[in-house]
Amino acid sequence: MAARVLQQCVRSLGRPSLRLCPVNLALRAAVAPAVPVHRPFSSAADSRRTRWLGQSRISSVGLLCRQYGDLPPLTLETIKDRVLYVLKLYDKINPEKLQVTSHFMKDLGLDSLDQVEIIMAMEDEFGFEIPDAEAEKLMTPEEIVQYIADKKDVYE
Amino acid sequence: MAVSSRSTVLSLYIRVFRIARAWQAQTGAASDSEAERRYIEQEARSLFRQNQPLTDPESIRRCIEECEARIEIGLHYRNPYPRATYLPPLGLATQRGRRLRAQQRLRKQAKPVYLQSHDDT
Repeated sequence: MAARVLQQCVRSLGRPSLRLCPVNLALRAAVAPAVPVHRPFSSAADSRRTRWLGQSRISSVGLLCRQYGDLPPLTLETIKDRVLYVLKLYDKINPEKLQVTSHFMKDLGLDSLDQVEIIMAMEDEFGFEIPDAEAEKLMTPEEIVQYIADKKDVYE
Repeated sequence: MAVSSRSTVLSLYIRVFRIARAWQAQTGAASDSEAERRYIEQEARSLFRQNQPLTDPESIRRCIEECEARIEIGLHYRNPYPRATYLPPLGLATQRGRRLRAQQRLRKQAKPVYLQSHDDT
């Protein structure tokens, strides 16, 4: 009974939704579903609540964790996707020519002012400040992803 | 010399954009803040691009001074637009003649440092 309720939770979490950031969600998804739950009614209420309040996007259905109103955990893959997405939105970059290893100055033909703007956009996207000395050296999307992974302690 | 001026210019550029990111207009209205923010960014982009091909260290130094002056004045008065100045008190000259040259010279002399990149009148 409890295992069935937890399976329902997992299936409801796995459904894709538009909202990226859960707002005040207490997703009580335990890491090990083998933990015996002696209160089936509260679990049923939990599953119903998660279905009502909308779901957060988790990178894989099997990865269950507690997210007390926090953003979904960063992985190298998601960082890379977000960096490329922001770069595609920049109007001076041709989206077809953009690769992970394309150099801003040599391959994409940007100059240092554009590179500064790109780093500012990354700061806005990921929400933390990048000091100038290190911002000057980030010349490819690969380096940006590596730097953000270093700063945010993302290992894989 | 060129390397340090380049890093100065880039750090000024970043500083302007960071100011623009957290800018609040003095009126307090959100639309005003938004409009002034966009004005700051657009002005910074256009002026930096316009002065990009300069190579003379003297003019580069003057542009850096202009940028710093505008940042300081803008932050002090909470107004990103350049402060208007009066014309020098000599009356207006005709389109040709020696008085025109004198007037141009005086106007160039009287232009404050934070209006250097603007070449109207």
